[in-house]
Amino acid sequence: MTVNSSRFGELEVPSDAVLDFPDGMIGVGGTRFALLSREENGAFKWLQETAQEDLALPVTDPFQFFPDYEVVLSDEEAERIGITDPSQADVLVVVRADEDPGQVSANLLAPILVSAGVGHQVLNEATWAPLREPLLSGGRQEVAAG
Amino acid sequence: MLTISRRVGERILIGDGIVIEVIEVSGGSIRLGITAPKELRIYREELWERVKAENEAAARADFSAPAVPQDPA
Repeated sequence: MTVNSSRFGELEVPSDAVLDFPDGMIGVGGTRFALLSREENGAFKWLQETAQEDLALPVTDPFQFFPDYEVVLSDEEAERIGITDPSQADVLVVVRADEDPGQVSANLLAPILVSAGVGHQVLNEATWAPLREPLLSGGRQEVAAG
Repeated sequence: MLTISRRVGERILIGDGIVIEVIEVSGGSIRLGITAPKELRIYREELWERVKAENEAAARADFSAPAVPQDPA
């Protein structure tokens, strides 16, 4: 399908790269997002809303930066999204870019769980789930050492 | 806004599927029990607002420069 993006222009996206988000992203909405890899083997991907060209969120695999990261769901949240075991789903976290690489952060509080073509942004009940965890400034080493 | 006074143990019904019960009142804080259809999302407002603000900031941020080096030199 063709997707228009204010960041990337007109894109041709394979249909299996399009994910349904029945409840959208928290606070910013959207219903269907294309998962875009802008560069091969790059650390970051984008979730581009297929009908809202100005809604695109950079995401990454949290485990490559935070090996000990855990997602814990409340029973209610697990039942709502139909995923009882977060390890059964693919996990992405939203990245907030910054001019200062040390300030680039990942949102570990509200990860995105993807299973069978459906995505949900959820609230992580794990003890360690910061809203804005620096990707580079020691978080990884600190976690790995602990 | 509708304002209703309730005592501990009393409930409010919203439509057919939502029940809110006052569980405990202590000092300035109130514990509520909420029963609602499972497809409804229930969040503490301040948490939801923080995530919303973070999503908005992430969607706005200039990502043109490679923010994180793949292979730290």
